[in-house]
Amino acid sequence: MEHELGFTKLFNDYIPGVANAILGIFGQHAHNPERPWANFVTMQILVTLIIMVLFAILSPKISMDRPGKLQHIFEALYTFLHDQAQEIVGHHGHRYLYLFATFFIFILFANLIGIIPAFESPTMFPPVPLGCALVAFLYYHAQGVIEQGTWKYLKHFAGPVWWLTPLMIPIELISHLARPMSLTIRLFANMFAGEQVTLVFLKMVPLFIPVIFMGMHVFVAFLQAYIFTLLAMVYVAGAVAHEEH
Amino acid sequence: MNIKFAILALMLFVLASPMMAQTADHSWSAPLAAGLGMGIASGLCALGQGKAVASSAEALARNPGAAPLIRFALILGLALIESLALYTLVIIFLKV
Repeated sequence: MEHELGFTKLFNDYIPGVANAILGIFGQHAHNPERPWANFVTMQILVTLIIMVLFAILSPKISMDRPGKLQHIFEALYTFLHDQAQEIVGHHGHRYLYLFATFFIFILFANLIGIIPAFESPTMFPPVPLGCALVAFLYYHAQGVIEQGTWKYLKHFAGPVWWLTPLMIPIELISHLARPMSLTIRLFANMFAGEQVTLVFLKMVPLFIPVIFMGMHVFVAFLQAYIFTLLAMVYVAGAVAHEEH
Repeated sequence: MNIKFAILALMLFVLASPMMAQTADHSWSAPLAAGLGMGIASGLCALGQGKAVASSAEALARNPGAAPLIRFALILGLALIESLALYTLVIIFLKV
């Protein structure tokens, strides 16, 4: 699994010092200080660069009178995410759309880049989905506190009536802590299992059959990106919801 | 009477396998547990997802106008149930 990709080899050959310096800021050491860049780090950088280049190509071409194909695709994507956010979070769902759209586009591209032969999905390694899940976790708590005030937000953990509080607080705590864990494991396990299944079938039948599983992996990539975004929206909706009496 | 013999034979078979090893070699137990565990997890997950799809298909047939909402609930439910089976897979990869 530690086979170094060609892209990572570039990083390790020319700029190993940068990785060691960044790790040193946090007091960490790489497994192998000669080649500190891990595959998933460089793949994440590549995904970010691809997304930035894509949007840099798209931005100047946006026009109201004669939209091109790329603009249509991104308008459809934006409308889809915007409507989902409005439907799930409520009237002010568009306020949180920045992060939801970032999750969706980043995780989608990160999942899909694994299909290309010389690259690996960064989401196949546990730290990457963990990072996304922790951001989602901190974000929905932060939005809940911003929206409702600290004390009122914490009171939500106590349950509807005061005498249920000793029961509700452990339950709520565990269920809230289970959310980043489930987000991480769901994304990581789906991507990892998809690749392993393709590899198993590649070992058994080298022609045609693995293509079916790669096709399923593409579908699962889209679905998992959507599910992550959807669950982030549901969590934010739960945190900022104002109870109507 | 036959069922009692069958159960006795099964117990002897299960108990005999460690006795056949001279040293305490338990390396067969983790892969066996992995296979059985994953099978059970996948089977139960399939039952749950089957129920979800069945009820959503019935709801779609009865109320085709609510298709987007039903589809949303279906996809969400399927992904959440799927993730439970995947937890088992993660444990397998950690321990085997």
